[in-house]
Formats: sequence, C-alpha cells, structure tokens
Amino acid sequence: MSRSITLGQYFPGQSLVHQLNPRMKLISLLFVLALLFSLRSYSGLVALFFIALFLIAKTRVPFRYFLRGLRPVLFIAIFALVIYFFFTSGGIVLLRVGFITVESEGVREGIFIILRLVTLVLFSLLLTLTTTPLSLTYGLSYFLKPLRYIGLPTDEVAMIMAIALRFIPTLMEESQRLMRAQVSRGADFESGSIFRRAKSLVPLIVPLFVSAFRRADELALAMEARGYRIGAIRTRMHEDTFFPRDWVVLAVALVMLAASLTLGL
Amino acid sequence: MFIGTEKLTHTYMPGTPFANEALKEVTFDLSQGEFALIIGPSGSGKSTLIQHLNGLLKPSSGKVYFEGNTVGSNKAELFNLRKRVGLVFQMPEEHFFSETVYDEIAFAPRNLGFEESKVQVRVTEALEEVGLETRTLLNRHPFQLSSGQKRLVALASVLSLKPEVLILDEPTAGLDSSGRRNLYSLLTKLNRSKRLTVLICTHHLDEAAALADTVIVLQHGRLILKGAAKEIFSRREQLYQLGLGLPAVTEIMHGLSEGGMKVRTDIFDLEGARQEINKLKGRHVK
Ligand SMILES: Nc1ncnc2c1ncn2[C@@H]1O[C@H](COP(=O)(O)OP(=O)(O)OP(=O)(O)O)[C@@H](O)[C@H]1O
Ligand SMILES: [Mg+2]
Repeated sequence: MSRSITLGQYFPGQSLVHQLNPRMKLISLLFVLALLFSLRSYSGLVALFFIALFLIAKTRVPFRYFLRGLRPVLFIAIFALVIYFFFTSGGIVLLRVGFITVESEGVREGIFIILRLVTLVLFSLLLTLTTTPLSLTYGLSYFLKPLRYIGLPTDEVAMIMAIALRFIPTLMEESQRLMRAQVSRGADFESGSIFRRAKSLVPLIVPLFVSAFRRADELALAMEARGYRIGAIRTRMHEDTFFPRDWVVLAVALVMLAASLTLGL
Repeated sequence: MFIGTEKLTHTYMPGTPFANEALKEVTFDLSQGEFALIIGPSGSGKSTLIQHLNGLLKPSSGKVYFEGNTVGSNKAELFNLRKRVGLVFQMPEEHFFSETVYDEIAFAPRNLGFEESKVQVRVTEALEEVGLETRTLLNRHPFQLSSGQKRLVALASVLSLKPEVLILDEPTAGLDSSGRRNLYSLLTKLNRSKRLTVLICTHHLDEAAALADTVIVLQHGRLILKGAAKEIFSRREQLYQLGLGLPAVTEIMHGLSEGGMKVRTDIFDLEGARQEINKLKGRHVK
C-alpha cells in the first residue's frame, strides 16, 4: 500500500498540520500567498518566515525535504539577487568594482525578494508535504464545484484526476517491471544513440498500453458494478469535517492578511 | 558455490519514510544442476531475491556470486550474468510486445548480437525445447495463443539465451492443471537432460514438491530454512505456522497415518502415494 502514495511529495505524519482539513489548508495557503505579496515591511516578512519555520518544525517532516523543494527556485533566487544587487541604486555604496557598484538599497530589496520567494515556497511545501495527492484533488474539486452551473462535469473531472493519481504509481511500477524483464533478456536502455534508445522503448510502450487499456476496462466494469453512474450525486466514505482548529487557522491567516492590508505593514 | 548470495540485504526506497527491508542477510548457494524451490508467504522477498540473482537490483549490502565470482555492478559483468542466468518473470506473457512469436523469442538472441541466421537457429531450438510446434506458430501473433501456449512461448523467449541457470517466478500462476503438469515435466526434462540449474519461486507445492532437490524457505525477508525437500517437508508444524502448508498428497498421507494406517508421510507426488496406498491394500486383501 505504501508504494501507491509515494507520488507527489506527501510525507506521512500525525502532526496538527497533517490533520488540518485539506480545503482549509488550501484556502489558508491562498490567504498567506496574498499576504506575502501585500507585505511591504521587513519585520512583517521576517515574522511570516518564522511562522513558516515554526509550522515546519511542527510537521516533523525532516527539513531536508523542504530543502529539496527549495532547490528548483535556487537559480531564480541567485538571478534575482544579482539583478537587485547591481542594478538598484540608492542608499550608501557598499562595494565598488570598476564601474559596477553595489548599494545598500539594492541589497535590502534583493534580500527582501528572496525571503519572500523562499517563504512562499515553504508555505506551498507545507501544503504538499502534509496532504496526500488524493485529498488535495478532492479539496481542489470542491472549489471547482461552482463551475458545474456552467455545465462542467466537475465531479467526473475530480474522479478522473483521482483515478489518474491512483494509477500513475501503478503504471510506473509496471514500466519498471517490464524494463527489468527486458533487461534480463539482454536489452539495453542506457547506451547508444538517441534514436537507438527511443527504439528500445517500443518493447515497453506496447505492453504498457495493452495493460493500461485492460485495466481501464476492468475498472470501468468494476465501478459500474458498484453503481457508479455519470451525473449521479455521489457521497464520500470519508467526509471531511471541519474542526475548531481548522477555523482557527483560517481566521489567523485572514486576520494577518487584513492587518497587512489595512495597516500597510 | 555455483550461484548464490552472501548476507544479501535489500532495502527498497532507502532513506525515505517508505524504506522497506525486503531481504535481510540472506545467504544460500546452489550447485550446478540442482533443482531448487523457494517458498515463503506473500511478501517474504522471493521475487526480490531472484531479481538479485539476475543483477536487476543492487544489493544494499552483501553480495551475489556466480561461479565463485562476486557479481560486480559494471555493465559487462551484468550482461554476462544475464546471458547465463535466465529469468522468467511472473505472468511473463504480460510482457509480450512483438508482432509475431518469432520476434518475441528472437529478442534475446538479437540482443546478444547474433546474426539473423543464428538467431533463427536459436528460435527454432527454443521452441522445440518447450515442445511447441514450430512451423504453425512462428508467424502467429503472441496474443492469439492459448494461455498455456503463451507461457511456453515466454519460457522459450528466455531459453533462447541458452542460460545455464533458469529462474522462474510463480511459473504456474494462471495455468490449469494440465498446463501446470506440462510445464513441470518440461522443467524436469531441461534439468535432467541439460543439467540446467533450476530455481523456482512458488506457492503451489503440489506439482513442484516432488521434483525439488532443495527447498529454501523465506519469511519476512529472512532465510529461515534450507535443506533437502524431504527434510523441509517433514517440518509440518513449522510450515503451517508460516501459513505454507504441505503438498496435498503429503497431507493425505499424514491423514492416513494419523488414522492409524501404516503409510509413509514423506511422499510428495501422486505416483508415490498411489504405490504406497496400493501396498496398504495388498496388506489388507488376503
Ligand atoms: N518495487 C518495490 N518497491 C518497494 N517495495 C517493494 C517493491 N517490490 C517489493 N516490495 C516489498 O518488498 C517485500 C518483498 O516483496 P516480494 O515481491 O519480493 O515478495 P514475494 O515473496 O515475491 O511475494 P509474492 O509471493 O506475493 O510474490 C514486500 O514487503 C513488498 O511490499
Ligand atoms: Mg513475488
């Protein structure tokens, strides 16, 4: 079972952050992101950054998982830093090399931007690391519900996403199995020209498709046998409930956003 | 010291919360020409173990050896190992990808770099070895075959490597009883006539038990028993505790014996049981 949920970044745990209602986590994240962009003061941003660190500690997810999530933005961060350091003027001159100068205003703004970016990524990771892809999908589909009134089959779309999520690891496992079966018969997927390597994938793709179609058929049958009908109202086995703690988190996020907007922090 | 492992440990997804130690310090070896069985409850690590013997997984610690040499991790060594140790996966026909039976079986010899004329010889030989009629089948689509035939084609597609060791994962899964018997008599023949070392993972003891020289029992990734088939199957209590049980025939002999009849209980095949029971009749009939 454990293998089927390794998709995405979910790191299992029992912390408060893990147990928050996924819908609430999604909305709160939205508020926090808005807050990040409305904040103008250093102190506010640093406070938010520390809130993120505090929550991260609470999740008990090893910090390296967050670091790994930060890696993709490292390049952007360095790039932004360089731009701000060298091209923003104002304040006192800190460094002068030839005709390039680094001035205090640039450093201030550069660091501000990066701190904002890092905090943003950390909060997003807080969501994705503590919520299973499936709950995220259901959470998202809830917010898409209004689209039903303009004719979009939102429940069905959610079902499709959930099934896709469920089967991606299965298909990955299957392709690995196939690959091994062929490697054991002397196939080589690693060397040779791109053309050769592409050709060596054919023996993978054919059986993968065959089994995917067979699975799809079987699944459709099984679902219909259990009463699944397009357009029917479905209930869920695990209805997500809201606890006081969910409202508290939401309220805190909302209050922070409101404070920032009205007080211009 | 023909093929085996030494303190082989394997951890799936190490360093993640899903880390799973599927093999724990497994040590065993087989000699050339041996017919061995690996049994163990589901999830005990059988499939993981045999994939190591084919160099498909990398040991987390410990080693795999073949012909007295430790199998390294460089490509040439692994290629050499795979050439000589053939592995038939569980439900191998699900891996078919070719348009014809011929191409399916030719996949391995082609990967060995043979010329087409030699490939053809290998394909014909492999099909004959598994007892399939060559001419009518070669140009058929693999999906048009019966499930028994598919299994044989899958076996042929590994035999075309001309391996010295043949490893099979649940070879009889999904076959009917005649298919099972046919497959096992084929494996026995290959083992006896070609001195092919055979290693089989299975839950179905009925056909396999009588043929095996050696039985290896895994549980929770540990090798807990290894010995001659007679010796292992005499540990009835222990096997039951493991949820494995005995071959049906052996179970019947135990039943008779417990019912007061004087029969041997170390019998694993129908023929042996028939003889033993006939002896009994002889005693009762005046
Ligand atoms: N690709 C994989 N990734 C992670 N864990 C795996 C993987 N393959 C197997 N496992 C785990 O390793 C353990 C041993 O699995 P293995 O497939 O070797 O058992 P088995 O004895 O062959 O079982 P079965 O009789 O059901 O085929 C199991 O706990 C299984 O969940
Ligand atoms: Mg298995």
